[in-house]
Amino acid sequence: MDIKKYDEEVPILENEKVNGKYFRLAFRSKNLSGNIKPGQFLQARINQGQDPYLRRPFSYFRVSPGRVEILYEVLGHGTSILSGKKKGEVLKVMGPLGNAFTEDLGKKKRILVAGGVGVPPLVFLAERYPTAYLLIGTKSKAELLPKAELKKVRAKVLHTTEDGSYGTKGRVTLLLEKILKDQHPGDFFIQTCGPKQMMKAVITIAAKYGVEGEASWDESMACGVGACLGCMVKTRGGLKRACADGPVFKFEDLEL
Amino acid sequence: MKVDLTTRIKNVAFKNPVTVASGTFGTTDEYAGYVDPRKLGAIITKTITVQPRSGNPMPRICETSAGMLNAIGLQNKGLEDFVENKIPYFKKLGVPLIVSIAGESTEEFGMLAKTFDGMKDVVRALEVNLSCPNVETGGVNFMKKQERILDAVKAVRDQTCLLLFAKISPELGDVLEIAGKVIGQGVEGISLINTLRGMAVDLRSRSSRLAKDFGGLSGPAIKPVALRYVYQVKKEFRVPVIASGGIGSAQDALEFLIVGADLLAVGTANFVEPQATLHILKGIEEFCRKEKICSLNELRGSYRPAGEKGERCER
Repeated sequence: MDIKKYDEEVPILENEKVNGKYFRLAFRSKNLSGNIKPGQFLQARINQGQDPYLRRPFSYFRVSPGRVEILYEVLGHGTSILSGKKKGEVLKVMGPLGNAFTEDLGKKKRILVAGGVGVPPLVFLAERYPTAYLLIGTKSKAELLPKAELKKVRAKVLHTTEDGSYGTKGRVTLLLEKILKDQHPGDFFIQTCGPKQMMKAVITIAAKYGVEGEASWDESMACGVGACLGCMVKTRGGLKRACADGPVFKFEDLEL
Repeated sequence: MKVDLTTRIKNVAFKNPVTVASGTFGTTDEYAGYVDPRKLGAIITKTITVQPRSGNPMPRICETSAGMLNAIGLQNKGLEDFVENKIPYFKKLGVPLIVSIAGESTEEFGMLAKTFDGMKDVVRALEVNLSCPNVETGGVNFMKKQERILDAVKAVRDQTCLLLFAKISPELGDVLEIAGKVIGQGVEGISLINTLRGMAVDLRSRSSRLAKDFGGLSGPAIKPVALRYVYQVKKEFRVPVIASGGIGSAQDALEFLIVGADLLAVGTANFVEPQATLHILKGIEEFCRKEKICSLNELRGSYRPAGEKGERCER
């Protein structure tokens, strides 16, 4: 049935830099914290005026009763302003939006493949649901999440860095392929979120080993609720809206 | 004090002047979880074309200063789907529906009009979209030849007695000249303004931030331009006008009312604030109460031109 949707002003509880790449922002919301699933997102109105004008979508990172956290990178004008927000300031937040990653995978073992802005929702998933592997790819050690942020993850966490400064040198798909090659690929189910090139490589490998999976596929969006048709994704069933029909799509449905 | 917000255009009565600009309120109930659409004076639909259209490649939106560019390209599922799957929703909703239509040919404009002429229980007016900047056929590029605009309008008029608004923009040429001509073809009103073509460049790739070079600019950035055209068209022709272009607050809406707008179409602001329409409605009422205005007609078109004789009224 209809899921209750919220659009509310929320007080910021903390907003701090956690490493060379991410800021973690926590806000108070009883409504949202009780209704969010990993893979869904929110639309934040950063300022009440016209700068920035549109809302910004963020995936959820962690949720506890009354409290919601996002993890974000400063990538442009909007996130730059967001990073300057202090405790006690207010954001206007719409959510929960979009669909979620499949939680119950039956007998399949979960492999999560994360890169860049795709890390937060997959950490959220790995904290909540049984997970075999969480594979995280970054450019260098500087972008690694602090260990404390991963301590509730009960999966085997493996890192790759492109410059070899931490974990395995190379791209995260190397690890994925190794796992699938060494074990029974049919036992696994892949869930991925990150740069498109990475997700495309993951989907190619999954197809090669006959493994099913889901990708969180987003495009620049304006409204976040399926109204503006800005964020269309090509699927086997025609064009779908990343914000309202996704962002999570089955590998087999995506037409890349 | 009760403020009468009723807005009458010819034989159609709208309970208030606040509506939504085409393409900014979803296809049916996308915003129903955030705003009660029954409170709107009217709903203007996303533009319907005869055939389904998939629109332009991604990215097709990007933010710019106080606004955004879009190059959606009239994505919609076509006339048949609209009639079959969307009209029943609007019928149930009971809000006066203004269907935005765009043909790729004169014949298609006629066909769209004929179809909706048979649905007068739901459809109260048509907005003939002559000014989409993002399509090759039927939009601004096609309509640059003025006879095509007039042919399209004539084709629509010939097929329906529904209230007609021609949606035009400065991208088509001289707004006043075109407005005069389409009024001559028998449209009752004008809808102003569509998005204005603009561009945004990504520094790293030195290419457009959209998948196309240009997109249509909307939002607060274009409001002063929209206000000016609404004022000029209203002053020149005294016909009903649907105003859109950066209406995001009661202040904006009231400015448009003062220069004479009949309906106020809230567009891009819906994306930022789904309740924008209702906030505006409330703000208009509050203003009227404060200023002891019982009926919107006292306010509508009350603009005092610069340099007009007599003291300016300082309230």
